[in-house]
Amino acid sequence: MAAVIYHREYARYDFGADHPFTPARLAILTDLLASLGNPIDAVEPPLATREEILTVHDEAYVAAVEALDRQDGSSDAMAYGLGTPDNPIFPGMDLAARWLVGGTLHGARTIAEGKHNRVLQLGGGLHHAARAKAAGFCLYNDLAVAIQDFVRRGWYVAYLDIDLHHGDGVQSLFYESDHVLTVSLHESGYYLYPGTGHIHELGSGSGRGMKINIPLEPFTEEEDYLEAFDAVVPQALAWFSPSVLVVQAGADGHFADPMGDLALTTRTYHALYERILNLAARHTEGRVLFTLGGGYSSAVVPRVWAMLYLTLMGLPLPERLPEDWMAKWAHALGPRMPLTLHDPDPPFPPFEGKDERRRRNRNTVSRLLDSVSRYWY
Amino acid sequence: MLVREIMKSPVTTIPPDVSLVEACKLLQALNIRHLPVTESGRLVGVLTDRDVRFATSTLCPSPHAATDSVRCAMSTSVLTADPGDPIEEAARVMRAHKIGCLPVVEGNLLVGIITDMDLLDAILRLAGIYDSTGRLEVSLSDVPGELARLTSFLGQRNVNIRSILTYPTGQGSIRTVLRVDTNQTPPLADALREAHFAVLWPMQKPWLR
Repeated sequence: MAAVIYHREYARYDFGADHPFTPARLAILTDLLASLGNPIDAVEPPLATREEILTVHDEAYVAAVEALDRQDGSSDAMAYGLGTPDNPIFPGMDLAARWLVGGTLHGARTIAEGKHNRVLQLGGGLHHAARAKAAGFCLYNDLAVAIQDFVRRGWYVAYLDIDLHHGDGVQSLFYESDHVLTVSLHESGYYLYPGTGHIHELGSGSGRGMKINIPLEPFTEEEDYLEAFDAVVPQALAWFSPSVLVVQAGADGHFADPMGDLALTTRTYHALYERILNLAARHTEGRVLFTLGGGYSSAVVPRVWAMLYLTLMGLPLPERLPEDWMAKWAHALGPRMPLTLHDPDPPFPPFEGKDERRRRNRNTVSRLLDSVSRYWY
Repeated sequence: MLVREIMKSPVTTIPPDVSLVEACKLLQALNIRHLPVTESGRLVGVLTDRDVRFATSTLCPSPHAATDSVRCAMSTSVLTADPGDPIEEAARVMRAHKIGCLPVVEGNLLVGIITDMDLLDAILRLAGIYDSTGRLEVSLSDVPGELARLTSFLGQRNVNIRSILTYPTGQGSIRTVLRVDTNQTPPLADALREAHFAVLWPMQKPWLR
């Protein structure tokens, strides 16, 4: 069983009608869970305070967000990554982002105070936000605020990022920290935003060897993805011996996601969730905090995250999707919507290049292990 | 990009009459490889870490003692740059002569130095990879106005371009790589294809083709 954290105010984090990071994703998900007979029984977190935001962000940046939020044009929006196609300015954005941070932080405290081992925050995962810059749909870094709260208590945190994109914000905020291991699997930055997350980014100072990146080739499929995961993540955790796992569970690595080029399926995600829970059982006495993250296909995201929810709650996965839910959200789910929770098998016809992708992915992993293992033991 | 924008200034220099051992200590302390040699403010040579090592090596046909002066090991025919030179000209000179640095002079005054590392930094800046950006690769016809059509397309969508690299493929097309200030490059690529641009990356998913 997991404690679930959710607040209706999360829906305020809304960049507008044509923006991909829409709160409709959450509405469709929570509605699916209810329709499956498992309405979420969530804890409502408190709003994060300004001081809590300042544990990882610069005061000047937060002040700029607040000023732009008030339509006060005196701040240089672009210098702070705001007013861009990715991060449009919207009224109430400071408060909206603080709700999401509040949820993830509350999840961390729930674990740190020993109330629950397993927590699912149904929101957040804003892993691109930097110390003084918004980026890639992310205003405040909820993950970093939560991690910082653990670190303040002397905990060792293993951050695992399975979003399509590199978890650059979290990595850079803890680049020199020896209390935080970050492991990010993502589509290679040679091709995809944000352009970072290469194997040579290993951390610095006493954090050297504690920042791990597994950049994968475009169109990488399940077998290669899980092979890379298994080759690196268990070893890294065994060495680092964390007190808790924090997982950014973005679902945009799915083959039908419109933002990128990985070719994962619902089965890959299910396998990942099982693996992560097993790793938590082995290394952190089951302590694990999951957040959501990227994921931009309405036909995919509710199915993958419903699977996350059901797996964490120890509930069985239904085969078919409820018809009432399908009918209600038909306009959003689109014509390619499967009738089942899992993707069809096979999910797509075979396509060429598998051998070369595998060669490059395996080479990436072996080069990574070669350079990082000298710091590990 | 001009030499003055990427040169290191002020420059650490050394007089010609100090010993090689002193020069070696200075190179190591500052973790640098090139020392301009000056006498009464005038550039008279360049001493590199390699000059020091070879001059004092037993492998040198006429080796010097570590206590010998910088003057015996330095190069005296020094190529220099002007602060207003374009960096590609500096790169061309360094490549043609296979040398690792150019002291930058204004009249008799040494005002800076550029090395091969500064040129690598310049390439990274030109490639726009210091910011978190998405990448677009488009093949443009080698005719006037095509790049303008591409950039105005992006401008209309409020997409900020952080860098553009273009090079001719030799087959009538210009390969153009842009770093753009958005992570929404796949939908952008679809829109570009609809506007009849030949987008090489992001490509359409192979299982949708």
